[in-house]
Amino acid sequence: MLCACSGEQFKFEDALQSPESLATRDFLASGLSSWTGDWESKLDDVQVDEAESTLKEALSLNFEEARALLGRLEYQRGNFDAALQVFQGIDIKVSLLLEAILLKAKSLEELEHFRDAAKECNIILEVVEAAFPSGMHEGIAEDCKLQEVFHKVLVLLPNLWKKAGFLSEAITAYRRVLVKPWNLDPLRIANVQKDLAATLLYGGVETSLPAHLQVWGSATPNGNMEEAILLLLILVQKVAYGEIKWDADIMDHLTFAFTVTGQFELLAGFVEQALPGIYERANRWYLLALCYAAADRNEVALNLLKKVSGQSEANHKPHIPALLFGSKLSSQDPKHALYGITFARNAIDLADQANDHFKGQAHKFLGVCYGNAARVSISDSERAHFQKESLTSLNSAALNMKEDPELVFNLSLENAVQRNLDVAFDNAMMYSNMVNNDSGRAGSLDQLELLRLRAVLQIAQEQPKQAIETYRILLSLIQAQRGPQSDLENVAERKIEMAAWQDLATIYTKVDSWRDAEICVNKAKSVDLYSPKSWHTSGLLFEAQSLYKEALVSFSIALSIEPDYVPSIVSTAIVLVQIGNESSLQIARSFLMNAVRLEPTNHDTWRNLGLIAKMEGSLEQAVEYFQAAYELEMSAPVEAFK
Amino acid sequence: MSSSNPDSNAHSCIQSLSSILSSVPSSVSSSSNPSFSLLHDPTITSEISSLLRLPDSGSGDNNLCRWLYDTFHSTDPELKLVVLRFVPIIAGVYLTRISLRKSLAGFEAIVLALYAHETTARDGQPVTVNVPDLSQPSIYHEAKGSVKNKATELNLAVISPTLEPHGTMRSSRRARIVGVALELYYSKISQMPVSSKMEFCEFCDIWAAGQKSEESKGKKERRIPLPWELLQPSLRILGHCLLGSQKSKELLEAASMATKSLYNRCLHDVDAKGILATSSLLRLEQMALDPKLNVDHTEIDGNVLSL
Repeated sequence: MLCACSGEQFKFEDALQSPESLATRDFLASGLSSWTGDWESKLDDVQVDEAESTLKEALSLNFEEARALLGRLEYQRGNFDAALQVFQGIDIKVSLLLEAILLKAKSLEELEHFRDAAKECNIILEVVEAAFPSGMHEGIAEDCKLQEVFHKVLVLLPNLWKKAGFLSEAITAYRRVLVKPWNLDPLRIANVQKDLAATLLYGGVETSLPAHLQVWGSATPNGNMEEAILLLLILVQKVAYGEIKWDADIMDHLTFAFTVTGQFELLAGFVEQALPGIYERANRWYLLALCYAAADRNEVALNLLKKVSGQSEANHKPHIPALLFGSKLSSQDPKHALYGITFARNAIDLADQANDHFKGQAHKFLGVCYGNAARVSISDSERAHFQKESLTSLNSAALNMKEDPELVFNLSLENAVQRNLDVAFDNAMMYSNMVNNDSGRAGSLDQLELLRLRAVLQIAQEQPKQAIETYRILLSLIQAQRGPQSDLENVAERKIEMAAWQDLATIYTKVDSWRDAEICVNKAKSVDLYSPKSWHTSGLLFEAQSLYKEALVSFSIALSIEPDYVPSIVSTAIVLVQIGNESSLQIARSFLMNAVRLEPTNHDTWRNLGLIAKMEGSLEQAVEYFQAAYELEMSAPVEAFK
Repeated sequence: MSSSNPDSNAHSCIQSLSSILSSVPSSVSSSSNPSFSLLHDPTITSEISSLLRLPDSGSGDNNLCRWLYDTFHSTDPELKLVVLRFVPIIAGVYLTRISLRKSLAGFEAIVLALYAHETTARDGQPVTVNVPDLSQPSIYHEAKGSVKNKATELNLAVISPTLEPHGTMRSSRRARIVGVALELYYSKISQMPVSSKMEFCEFCDIWAAGQKSEESKGKKERRIPLPWELLQPSLRILGHCLLGSQKSKELLEAASMATKSLYNRCLHDVDAKGILATSSLLRLEQMALDPKLNVDHTEIDGNVLSL
């Protein structure tokens, strides 16, 4: 090798300690080229080969490197044709290079150097992103291999960050994949969207969008939860349009997100949207019932649950959770009592070994439903049967669930209704102890109900003073509780308040404290003017003061609010009887007949029919009526529970 | 803490702590980043945890509660994190002792302080999320069909309703107040050490299934009522432990057990919201463990033992 300047033999091996040092090579190469003299603008291949092999030997370059260097030299000297010629001879293996970096990253991953691996990936991404600032569109990337490597890196990077524990960087990396088009196939995009949604939902690291992405105005997601929901909704839409297959994970993430954010009806909509076959039919109904019940739409939920245990599912395994759920929802409304009994009985009878621990709950709901059924029953024997079953079931539940406050409360209530007043009191005290200590919702509303129960028991035991005192406590608790509550809680509390005022008015009326009674009635009316019972109570107050005209007016108002309000019908008849002339007796009787039709077990109705019969001289008929009234009165529940 | 220098705050904190604990390792007291050391030092945190579990730990005159209360009121946010780290134990022990008629004024003071902090921070606003309308394009999708020109109506979902200030603990508000303390804990969960998260999982287990406590002299298990105000933030924390943090296998196991316990409890109580959330978490965990497992994803099984 001749030296550039002196032409002497020169050994390059010593000088070239680091052949990778491009700067060194450059320097030497420019030296060499000046030595090789001026080249003509067009070279022939032989000359190129020679120059190339010279360079190769001199600088330990490989074929591609040598040519690349040569080409650059020519370019820099302005010999574009020559440069082009040189370059065309090289098969530029950029993609191989990138793949090498990718494999380096993957090796680091295997060795668990996740952060280093991530950094390697970043290099690739930065290079490619710089080359394609607005993403890759179809057809732009001519080198398929390059695109393939790039795609692998895109998808690998966020996973590496996650493994390294850098969730914020992972989220940023996920977003990088999604916000520009990179020609990824739809399934891959969907997977990335799903993984990003999961990281946003559960990662616990709020990573706000960078400023340049916050350009979508009100559609810019604000916070991790919003962004996750946006992604999940997009994914669900893709499933709906058939762009991707159903994926249970998507639905589970969505369920979690919507449960936390209280969007149950929306969730139900998506469950309904799933194509047939995705869910087993009974399960779909059960799932929907859960959603609708969570959204406080119990009627809808119940209908769905009836279907689960209905004819169409007769050939399938019984769905115990659905049965239990059905019995719970039914127990909350007397009109569903009979369905509730069926649900609960089925739950108990069909439950296998594994579901044994549900039986206590099932018995509890069964007991409550029987109690409700008894109260709305018209047949005497049926009512007695239901009441007996109710206590049996509740006591059976108490065998496994002694500490359940709801059960104790219901035991107290049902025993009170059936006039087992001592047991009722014991349970009421037990409940009171539980409630006073426990945290949570067993606070206000249940306490108020307990107090009302206690007052009613005191009335039944003819202790009006104690009852008045209890009501006083109840009402002052309500006054003190003017805090923010859910709508349901508010409504329930207003109901109890109004009932308390009505009961107080009744007590005061009975003990002839007219003024106090009047105040209480007006308070009741201020809670809800359109309650028939409030007007009825007014009427009773007037009646006690022998103000019959005023009494009739009040009863008429009650009946105009609710034409089938039996107590007012009966009371109207009673007042008419008091007025006592021939025609009013006839009218009174027709009122009472109406009342009998509506509520055949009301003993007051029968007794007054008897009175009218007696006044008209039909003594035998009067006796029959009185007999009926007596028997009904003996088996009637405590008055205030009607 | 009147000094504005965070380091001196941390140092005086550590000093007062040393009179409560048996010893404070020198690695902490002479550390260059004392609050960070306090947060992560295993000796100190395990001793504090043990002290908090003692039978009379929550009373009004308890030194440790006092220290936690004062430390939370420090101006150094790192020191607040130290107190937050112990929220699972404090909330857990507090709730399990309600029925035992003990004085819990110490715990209540801390929990109320956390609640007050959040009340101030949220400034009367609820925490909401906007459920997006897909008919408007976003950074992740183009709208299908014609874009509605009218302004999108916001569909606001409430994650946490507006907070009312509460100076004292009332039984009707207890669940909400403790729930808000848990929400605060969740907001910083990425900075909480694994041991704290494990404690949370342990308490979820206890809340769900009740504990046979020796203190109640052989009484049967007392379950703690789990209203939604308490359950919802707990589920978010559990979701993170189960699916959001990949690092600790132990944590994963603890979270899995806790989620199963809560699932069983929700099934027993027939709590629709709880069933929906816990069953989803459990299925997601199964899929993550073995994606090839042919789980029937739609099965909400009454046979809880098989899960």
